[in-house]
Amino acid sequence: MAEPATARLVDAGARASLWLQPHRIGLIAVGVVLVVCAALFMRWDWLPNYYGLALEGIWRTLWILVVTCVLGFMLAVPIGLVQVTGPRWLSVPAYWFCTVIRGTPLLLQLWFLYYGLGSLFPQYPWIRESFLWPYLRQAWPYAVLSLTLSYAAYEGEVMRGAFAGVARGQLEAARAFGMSRWKVFRRIWLPQAIYRALPTLTGETVLQLKATPLVATITVVDIYAVASRVRQSTFIVYEPLLLLAVVYLCITGILVFAFRKLEARIPARLG
Amino acid sequence: MSPPGWGGNLLRGLFNSVLIAAGAYSIGIMVGIAGAFGKLYGGPVLRDLLELYTTIVRAVPELVLILLLYFAGTDLINRLLEAFGYQRIDINGLVAGICVLGIVQGAYSTEVIRGAILAIPQGQIEAARAYGMSPGLLLRRITLPAMLPFAIPGLANLWLIATKDTALLAIVGFNELTQETRTAASTTKAYFTFFLVAGALYLLLTLFSNVIIARVEKWARRGMHVESH
Amino acid sequence: MKYAPEAAAEAIHIENLHKKFGELHVLKGVSLSARDGDVVAIIGGSGSGKSTLLRCINCLENPTSGLIRVNGEEIKLKADSHGHTVPADRRQIERIRSRLGMVFQSFNLWSHMTLIENVIEVPIHVLGVQRDEAVANAERLLARVGLSEKRDVYPAFLSGGQQQRGAIARALAIEPRVMLFDEPTSALDPELVGEVLKVIGDLAQEGRTMILVTHEMKFARKVATHVVYLYNGLVEEEGPPEAIFGAPRSDRLKKFLHNVH
Repeated sequence: MAEPATARLVDAGARASLWLQPHRIGLIAVGVVLVVCAALFMRWDWLPNYYGLALEGIWRTLWILVVTCVLGFMLAVPIGLVQVTGPRWLSVPAYWFCTVIRGTPLLLQLWFLYYGLGSLFPQYPWIRESFLWPYLRQAWPYAVLSLTLSYAAYEGEVMRGAFAGVARGQLEAARAFGMSRWKVFRRIWLPQAIYRALPTLTGETVLQLKATPLVATITVVDIYAVASRVRQSTFIVYEPLLLLAVVYLCITGILVFAFRKLEARIPARLG
Repeated sequence: MSPPGWGGNLLRGLFNSVLIAAGAYSIGIMVGIAGAFGKLYGGPVLRDLLELYTTIVRAVPELVLILLLYFAGTDLINRLLEAFGYQRIDINGLVAGICVLGIVQGAYSTEVIRGAILAIPQGQIEAARAYGMSPGLLLRRITLPAMLPFAIPGLANLWLIATKDTALLAIVGFNELTQETRTAASTTKAYFTFFLVAGALYLLLTLFSNVIIARVEKWARRGMHVESH
Repeated sequence: MKYAPEAAAEAIHIENLHKKFGELHVLKGVSLSARDGDVVAIIGGSGSGKSTLLRCINCLENPTSGLIRVNGEEIKLKADSHGHTVPADRRQIERIRSRLGMVFQSFNLWSHMTLIENVIEVPIHVLGVQRDEAVANAERLLARVGLSEKRDVYPAFLSGGQQQRGAIARALAIEPRVMLFDEPTSALDPELVGEVLKVIGDLAQEGRTMILVTHEMKFARKVATHVVYLYNGLVEEEGPPEAIFGAPRSDRLKKFLHNVH
């Protein structure tokens, strides 16, 4: 990066002026007017009362998002791998797992786990006596389980393609140099598959964010549930929903930005 | 385990789900075609507005959009009616659901169709212009059919999303499959069974759709050299 | 029949044509005319503007200034809001285009239609010919270019030479007043060039009016009634093929001919 600082500055300036065309200034002005009108003429007096709850809700939304994405991705790697190279007794169940989860609505899966399984558990005394019982009586483990499985299935499908897409010749070359099967997987196959899958991660994670409000239907209090509560107790309809949409837009924006930075740090060039 | 009659309810729910999905999908494709052309050939203001539309819809959860559009849409229509001196009307839940999901689908379709139009070899469009086709004829005879093979995979995926997104209308209380299932389950307390059955119905719908999609894809790719997969 | 009688009507007339792409001045005042039955070959190095000149005739590129007459009808041009010259009357340009049979370098057959569907498309949907009449005509034309048995094949399954012969059949199907060839053999493998040139040569023999942009000098010499050598956006030299290829006057043309042989 030996290019002179002035050149970069000029470049940035040119790009800014390219972006800030006259009609954009007009559109931004309209947007600002709309925001000011919303601030002045809509009702925001409920905001101080629910401020704390809203922050907690945002925190819980982010927490669920991060935990389920990380767990889901860890599951997705083996699910993708066994479908490419595994024995039939592993690849067939993995295939059907992906098909079933991707073929049914997440809301139904969530309700199936929470209401369906949840209603079966109390019938078995050994479950009631186990150390898990205090958790099984709460809602969030079901929410985390269901969102994790969903992410695992969608990303598992991506990982299957990513593993299959790595050129056979590279794996053969690694084996020809005397690498063990495990080493070939760890040093060559897995890194390349993950590089391949990276571009899809942004989209899948944004989709996962958009799925999180479903957990509100099984009594987990995320940011969506807070907005619903405001609507129900104050009968104010638009304001909490609009603010909610803005919150999701911001989180999406941060996610996209973070992933772009992450991708830029990975120098891999794939053919 | 289930009293007679619940099966009928579930099937009616399934029918409603398919109806909403089909309606929303059709609206989505029409919005998508218009949106794609706006994004490709429209003026700067239109292009920016469409960009705003697709960005917002793809970043905000469907659930939030459904509530916002449902409340705001019915409110707006009624205010307009009152302003012109008509009676307020109750917006049919089915119509509202179809419209709202259609707007959501439209944002995704816009991107799919825009990409597909860009994938058409430019020479084919140029040839059509060189032979004196009017813009309308060019769209109908060349651009739309020629983009199909590029758009079908994305559009097929959107259909599967549409069938699953209908479940979200359960939350606003519309009697599609998921909501019917919940009613049946909570009445009979046989949660496990009913959700399992509903899951099987959705899965069957998806698998059946996949068979149709494979045929449509084969047909759309008839002029392509490499057969799909 | 390589002469054009003086009485023949004017098919294409171009006067002082300019074309700029931004700062790039591609055509700097070109004039050219062709009478019915003429075969005009446009030759020149890459970047000389020869393809652009051809594409201006049917307004695939809008000329920056100048006059274009097709069959005695002047193409009406106007300036749009950005100051670009565009056709003033869309219907006029569409009508003129529907009688100019263009053959492209990269064939540009429509990939979602079979060969015969490609050939009947414009007659039916632009010219309003009855379907059975269009099909009968298309079958005759496909037989003529030697592609009868390929009528129901999609373009992607044909060789380059077959596609280009199909594209010529598509151009013939509109009963063109003038045929425009834009380097019709440049995208072909060498062994396929001959079959396409044979078809074009036959068309020239029967007295069709053609404007031909080409790199095939031997072919141009054989079929053309008039040759135009374009250099850097200007007509450097023009005349009958014997004069252009046999006794070139300009040094640039001499050098050009020397280099391509």
